[in-house]
Amino acid sequence: MPTKASFSIASKSSRTLVASVFGVIALAMALALRSQLPGGELRAVSTIFMFIALSQAWNIIGGFTGYASFGQVVFFGMGGYFAAVVMLKYHFSFWLALPLSGCFAALFAILIGQPLLKLKGHYFAIATLGVAEGMREVVINIADLTGGGAGISVPIAGKFAKTEYLGDGGFYLLFLALAIFSLVIGTVVSRNKFGYGLRAIHQNEDAAAAVGINTVRSKVMAYALSAFMTGIVGASYVFQQVTIFPERLFDVEITVLMIMMVVIGGSGTVIGPLLGALSLQFVSEYLREHFTNVHTFILAGIIILAVILIPQGAVNYLREGIRTKDFSLLTNIRRYRL
Amino acid sequence: MDTFLQVTAYGLLQGGLLALVAVGFSLVWGIMNIVNLSHGAFVILGAYIAWEMQAWTGLDPFLGMFVSAAVLFCLGYVIQRYLINLIVNGPVFITLLLTFGINMALIQAMNLVFTADFRSIQTSYGSNSFGIGEVRIPLVRLLAFLLAIVITLLLVAFVKRTRTGISIMATGMDRGAARLMGIKARHVYALTFAISAALAGMAGTMIATIETFDPSKAGKFTLMAFVVAVLGGLGNMYGALVGGLLIGLVQSWAGQYLSGTWVNAIAFLVLIIVLIFRPNGLVGKAFYAARVEI
Amino acid sequence: MRKNSRSVAALFAVSSLLMFGVHAIPAASAADVLTITIGASVPLTGSIAKEGILTKEGYQFCQEKVNALSTSTIGGKQKKIEIIFQDDTSKPDIAAQNLSKFNDKGIKLILSSYGSANVNAQAAVVELNKQTMVDSGGADNAIFNKGYTRTFNVMSPATEYASSMVKAIAELAKPRPVTIAFLSADDGFSKTVTAGGVATAKALGFTVIGPEYFPNATSDVSAALNKIKAAKPDVIMGSVHFVEGVALIKQSKELGVVPKSFAETVAPPILDFATTLGPLAENVLGSAQWTSTAKGQDRYFGTAKSYDAEFKARFGHQATYHNAEASAACLAMVYAIEKAKSIDPDKVRTALSTLDTLSFFGRIKFDSTGQNTFKPMSVIQIQKGKIVTVWPRRDAEAKMLWPYAK
Repeated sequence: MPTKASFSIASKSSRTLVASVFGVIALAMALALRSQLPGGELRAVSTIFMFIALSQAWNIIGGFTGYASFGQVVFFGMGGYFAAVVMLKYHFSFWLALPLSGCFAALFAILIGQPLLKLKGHYFAIATLGVAEGMREVVINIADLTGGGAGISVPIAGKFAKTEYLGDGGFYLLFLALAIFSLVIGTVVSRNKFGYGLRAIHQNEDAAAAVGINTVRSKVMAYALSAFMTGIVGASYVFQQVTIFPERLFDVEITVLMIMMVVIGGSGTVIGPLLGALSLQFVSEYLREHFTNVHTFILAGIIILAVILIPQGAVNYLREGIRTKDFSLLTNIRRYRL
Repeated sequence: MDTFLQVTAYGLLQGGLLALVAVGFSLVWGIMNIVNLSHGAFVILGAYIAWEMQAWTGLDPFLGMFVSAAVLFCLGYVIQRYLINLIVNGPVFITLLLTFGINMALIQAMNLVFTADFRSIQTSYGSNSFGIGEVRIPLVRLLAFLLAIVITLLLVAFVKRTRTGISIMATGMDRGAARLMGIKARHVYALTFAISAALAGMAGTMIATIETFDPSKAGKFTLMAFVVAVLGGLGNMYGALVGGLLIGLVQSWAGQYLSGTWVNAIAFLVLIIVLIFRPNGLVGKAFYAARVEI
Repeated sequence: MRKNSRSVAALFAVSSLLMFGVHAIPAASAADVLTITIGASVPLTGSIAKEGILTKEGYQFCQEKVNALSTSTIGGKQKKIEIIFQDDTSKPDIAAQNLSKFNDKGIKLILSSYGSANVNAQAAVVELNKQTMVDSGGADNAIFNKGYTRTFNVMSPATEYASSMVKAIAELAKPRPVTIAFLSADDGFSKTVTAGGVATAKALGFTVIGPEYFPNATSDVSAALNKIKAAKPDVIMGSVHFVEGVALIKQSKELGVVPKSFAETVAPPILDFATTLGPLAENVLGSAQWTSTAKGQDRYFGTAKSYDAEFKARFGHQATYHNAEASAACLAMVYAIEKAKSIDPDKVRTALSTLDTLSFFGRIKFDSTGQNTFKPMSVIQIQKGKIVTVWPRRDAEAKMLWPYAK
């Protein structure tokens, strides 16, 4: 939840109170916005909410547990395709398909997590990337079920359309709900024993095992949880887009965006990914619309500067800055340079 | 039987090309623990430089690749020394983001400067092939394969026999100790990255003679480098070669004996299986995955 | 952005909304000119940036020609068209989102993006928003059998890409070949192309080998070639894009697969094809939506030849069929506006559905699904490094050379 006074030495319960108040205000404004914004803007803000949810999901396995998954998009794609297939071929309603997609993604995570989470560091990252790319190829090849390279369309008209198309306003609310759901999960995980266990694993996995944390179970659960959160977002995305293609639903760029948002915002915190998602999406949308010819360069420049000047992420930078009263960016460079 | 030999030969040749693309990437990752997402962009840039050389001066690509290597060496040195060195001690995936930003900027720059036209380097011998029995061996692919082997052997000799090479390996093993020994770590890192970029440039030139290239292909080569480097294993200069040959063979056989569209899925499946049973890659050194930097 | 992040975001959103309001459709200015705003979201960056930029050039050329030569008026006011461009970075969801943003600003008349995936996404949004779109970049029939009524495609549908070459071979190739092998990329568009080609080949009495598929955008088609090598096909027909198209010719030579002729979709009409392959490209057949010998003319662009010449003078390179189809889409929109004497999207839609006219691009008329099934595709052949039209006979510049002389 966005906080204002949390950086000071206020007590935890007062921080929670302030956070909740701000959360409620923000929610009210978001709801009010819905009637103010026209359709295209609603879509743009919906995308921001979508990335808030996605980055919170990645944060669970990547930020808290420290297992950076380069292939997170596979759950986005699996959840999305599951929803598309059951809605098209078995005439499910979207509201039934939604939680099932999450469960499907979580089951897949449990299946591949057992062997993969034994790997460490960059090897884990590449293995997950391999899974993502591999599943995309599989989806292209089982065209009878998934439509393959020709894509698949969710029915939105006619007698097979069990759920009415939500429209720009409806999807705005749906993605807002998903964002809130992810923030709640993120906050709960960051404050309970499970979350502390994950952080322990991140800092020193062997020591964590030594104090009695079942590291394998915790890791797999974290992976499955992040998969569930990602899967339901994928299902919602598919419903919004109506027609989807494998290249987009398993696009590695989505994972990279998720990671960027978490890292730029501050990994291992709850606000960090929120801020990262908001700012990055907003900035890239704005640049693309107003600097049509050079937006890529400007965005690249911003990313490079942000990474060099604030590599620990904005939230961690601020927290340390308030604590040490030293906001110098050059300190960062001096600390992290070779 | 002939088909099998043809397919195997083709797979090995393709594997050599994959190895050439991946060797620089593996070097940087193994020595400096830096994942360079802009590696594919370097490959494409190398291809463009060689293409321009041929367009202006008619230089044959097998000579033009040295020009590519030289230009990319300088570019790589500068990027590492003045950009990436700034964040080397930071949290692990910061280099991922930085190189992603560099990748974005490079690709867009190439789009603007060279336009997104499809290009390829023509040579008079470009589509020659000769036959060994019933098996046809394309000439340029064979040359690329041989180049991959030569470069791997040179690299191995370099890191084992030359002073600079040994200092690179030392810095990779224990940066703190190396610095205490008087090795200038900033310079050595920049040098390693520069070598990697130069190798990428040479790989790009080979790509340009064999297939068509344009800026949007950069991502494909980065992904290729990833898979091959990890499959082969880090910390061992032969890793890229081993990984490349394996992937090349597997894809070639899969393409022939299964449906042609499954080749990519099979490659990733092989990657995952190898990682599960040999987590450090086929010939990788476990040390490199677990080391601590100061 | 750190404090009250959500409210700051809201503030930004509301203020950008105000900024956009300023750019809403300008009403007729005092100088008796009605500026018609048309929205176009094209891929200027990303994987299909090259074709996206060609599409933009085609739209721009049309805008300049129409504004220079237009004499017709709407409601007593001189009309000028203004095309607003946005970049969709080659992604279908952004292509669709850009159209929604256009809709927010009241821009209801749309020229499409490039690529069947992008256009597919755009057609869905256009239908929901009640905009009207003319398509210049997505030829897959699958887009048009969803019951959409507001998107019109000036191009020949995907099923014609290979079929036209099969028909040309049946008509002009002497001696008539017996077997045609189909090699295809596995994306939706190419599969539709192959299905159409195979159906036509069987109907015309050819023996069909394959189809064999390979991954889209691959540069290694050796597996597919090895599979058909033993059958020694007379013709190899490739449903491909540029990269696979070049690989097909090169690797056929490397592997010793030598048919009487190669025929490929999409790639041969692209100028880089002949320059990349050099002598290997000789006598390869290709199909194109348009060549500079197409029959027909209109008052804005003249004939195909004059389009070609003036385009080259303006943009410095020879006009490709991507440029032409974009200009044709824009032209169709302009004709529909003139016919309807209005910029109301429903009236323009009705005018498009009843449009039947000749142009530099050929005949523009739409069937009930919105596709232009009334314009045949041209079949070209590369002769001495130059692209010449060989079919239909009435457009032909030269005789088709047969067989592949290597």
